Order: sequence, then structure tokens, then C-alpha cells
Amino acid sequence: MNCHEWTNRIDDFLDGRLEAAEAEDLQAHLADCPSCTGELASIRELRDLAAALPRSLEPPRNLWPGIEARISEAKVARGRFGRRALLAAAAAVVVVSSVVTAYFIGRSQAVVVTAEPPAAVESGPSAVLLASFEGLGVNNYLDTRTVLLDALEARKHELSADTLDLVMENLLLIDQAMDRIAEALGEDPGNEFLMKQLAGAYRRQIDLLQRAVRMPAEV
Amino acid sequence: MRVVGSPEIRENLVVRAASGDVAAFEELYRENANRVYLLCLRMCRDPSLAEELAQEAFVRAWQKLGSFRGDSAFSTWLHRVTVNVVLGDRRSTARRESRVRPAGDDLPVDLSTSEPSPGQALDLERSIAALPEGARLVFVLHDVEGYRHKEIARLTGVAEGTSKAQLHRARKLLRKALAS
Repeated sequence: MNCHEWTNRIDDFLDGRLEAAEAEDLQAHLADCPSCTGELASIRELRDLAAALPRSLEPPRNLWPGIEARISEAKVARGRFGRRALLAAAAAVVVVSSVVTAYFIGRSQAVVVTAEPPAAVESGPSAVLLASFEGLGVNNYLDTRTVLLDALEARKHELSADTLDLVMENLLLIDQAMDRIAEALGEDPGNEFLMKQLAGAYRRQIDLLQRAVRMPAEV
Repeated sequence: MRVVGSPEIRENLVVRAASGDVAAFEELYRENANRVYLLCLRMCRDPSLAEELAQEAFVRAWQKLGSFRGDSAFSTWLHRVTVNVVLGDRRSTARRESRVRPAGDDLPVDLSTSEPSPGQALDLERSIAALPEGARLVFVLHDVEGYRHKEIARLTGVAEGTSKAQLHRARKLLRKALAS
């Protein structure tokens, strides 16, 4: 390897990116080559100088008022979908599921639930969220919902008015919660908490319909 | 004893800011503003644009605080948010092309330090500001800020080999400039 080629490797050597054997070869070359040794010293000096440069500089003007104005605006906008409101929406989804489950179990011990109940989605890594979406298939959600609503319609004469009212009322509640979460997601598309809640709402709505469709005849 | 600026206090500030406490976020701003501003200035060279980008970085950080999990220090996380903001702005080049002016004279030289000499540091700052954009970004991120090529490649959307080549080019140009 000639000096020009070694020179190209000196950067890697200084940054610790050369294999041990290659580093040894370079060091052997440096021992006999004043030119490359000078090159190494020059790059090292530059690198040390750069690393020693100041890390902070006061801006010419106070930037905080502009930042505060913008985040305050965002806060006002977020107030429409504030944490409390979103938590309430998310909680509504959970309560709906719990109430409906208790109702179905209370109405009949013979409820057959072949599908797994919805997994807890209130916490966990984003992998859980992705799995939720993949498992349910967001694209299939509307189709699945339509099929289940049709199935419910086909056997509504077998179910009591109370059961049908409860199911439809809670579907509406979940729809409203989903609307609020989706609207908030429009403002903050990367918010994992919201995505988890939305994925959870999808699953719970499908679960509610599945339970209703599989419920033994009451009438 | 807990002191101002300790990790516990800072963590508490982050938690409060994430729950919507603007005063806590202002404390975080006071702690980090100078570093964020200088990073923006070094990367974009334009002092007034650097002010805008620094503001944008803090607004973005406020919006994303919910996703900060404390895996790294808040300042490290904020640093990455800032780099992303500057690189995002770089992609909308039309805006910047009409307003760039070299910022070598605006860049800091701490006259109280003796090593490196203020003259050397000033020369280096001016030379960095005069580098071609790709080489400048990689040099600032790698040699000044300590990022690795893999991360630079991911942030800037170039191949790792391109990042290495840009660093090599930047170092060569800078040594030449400083020697003249």
C-alpha cells in the first residue's frame, strides 16, 4: 500500500475504525514514513481542536417569548382534546367493554367466546401496538365490523330489546371515543399513547359485536 | 442534598413539563438554549435562521415530550430533536438559499481559554462555516458533536460510506484552510 492509500486510512485509524491487523500495518508504516506521520499529527490536531470548540453560545435575543407563545397556542388547541378528555374517552372504551362483558355473563353462563378477549393495550412497547394493528388489520376493521353488524341484524329477533339497546348504545360510545382519539391523532400523529388507545378501541368494538352475535338466543 | 441542575431536579422538570407545566419547560429551555442555538448556528451558518430553528427545536421538543422515555439524558434527546429540525429545514432548501451569509464572525470564541488559542478556534470556526454543506454537516456532527457515522447516515439519509467520505473531505479542506 502506498502513502496515498495509507493517508485515506488515517481517518479510520484515528476514529478507531480499522481492524487490529490493519492498524498494526499502518503503525509499522508510520514508523518509517515522516510524511504519513505528519499527516496523522495534523488530523489529530484538527480533531482535538474541533472537540475543544465551545459547546454553547447565548442567542443574540431571548428566544423564550416566541417559544412560549407557540406552545401556549398549542396548549389551547390541545385543550379540546386535553389529557383529561382523552383519558375519559379511553376510559369510556374500557368501561363499555367491562359493562358489556358483565352484562353478557350475567345474562347467560352459556356465553361462548371463541375469540381471545382483547389484550391489554393501555401499556407496553410500540411492538404491542403494531401487533394490535396487524392482528386486527386496520384495513379490515370496517369490513369486519360490517359483517358482524349484519350478523347481529340477522339474529336480532332472537335477542331481547334490552340486549340490543345495550349493544347499540355502547357501540355508539366507543365510536364517539374513537372519533375523539382519531381527531387528536390528527394533531399529534406520532403519539403512541393515542395510537394504542385507538387500536384498543378497534379491538374492543369488534369484541363487543362478536359477543353479541354469539350470545345464545333469549327470545 | 439536592442541587439545582442535578439529575433528580432535571428529571422532575421533564416530568412536570411533559404534563403541561410551561414553567418547568422554561427551566429546561434556560438550561439548554445556548447549546441548542450554537448547534443550529454551526449547522446552518445563518444567525437569524439559527434562532428560528432553535425555537422550532424547543417547540418540537414540547410536542414530543410524551415520547421521551428517559433512556438517555434529556439534553441528549433534545440534541437529536434539534439535529432533526435542522436537517428537516435543510431539505426545504429554497428558503435558505436566498438568505445564507457566512457566520464565522458570529461563532463563539471563549477568550478566557488558552487551549486551543482563541485565534486557532476562530480560524477553525470560520473555516467550518466555509465548508461545502455536506462536508460541514458531517464534520460538525462527527468531530464537534461526537456522533458516529452510522447515526449520521441515518439522520441525514446518506450511506455510511458517504458520511466517511464527507468527513475525510472536510478534514482535508480544513487542514488546508488552517495551514494557509
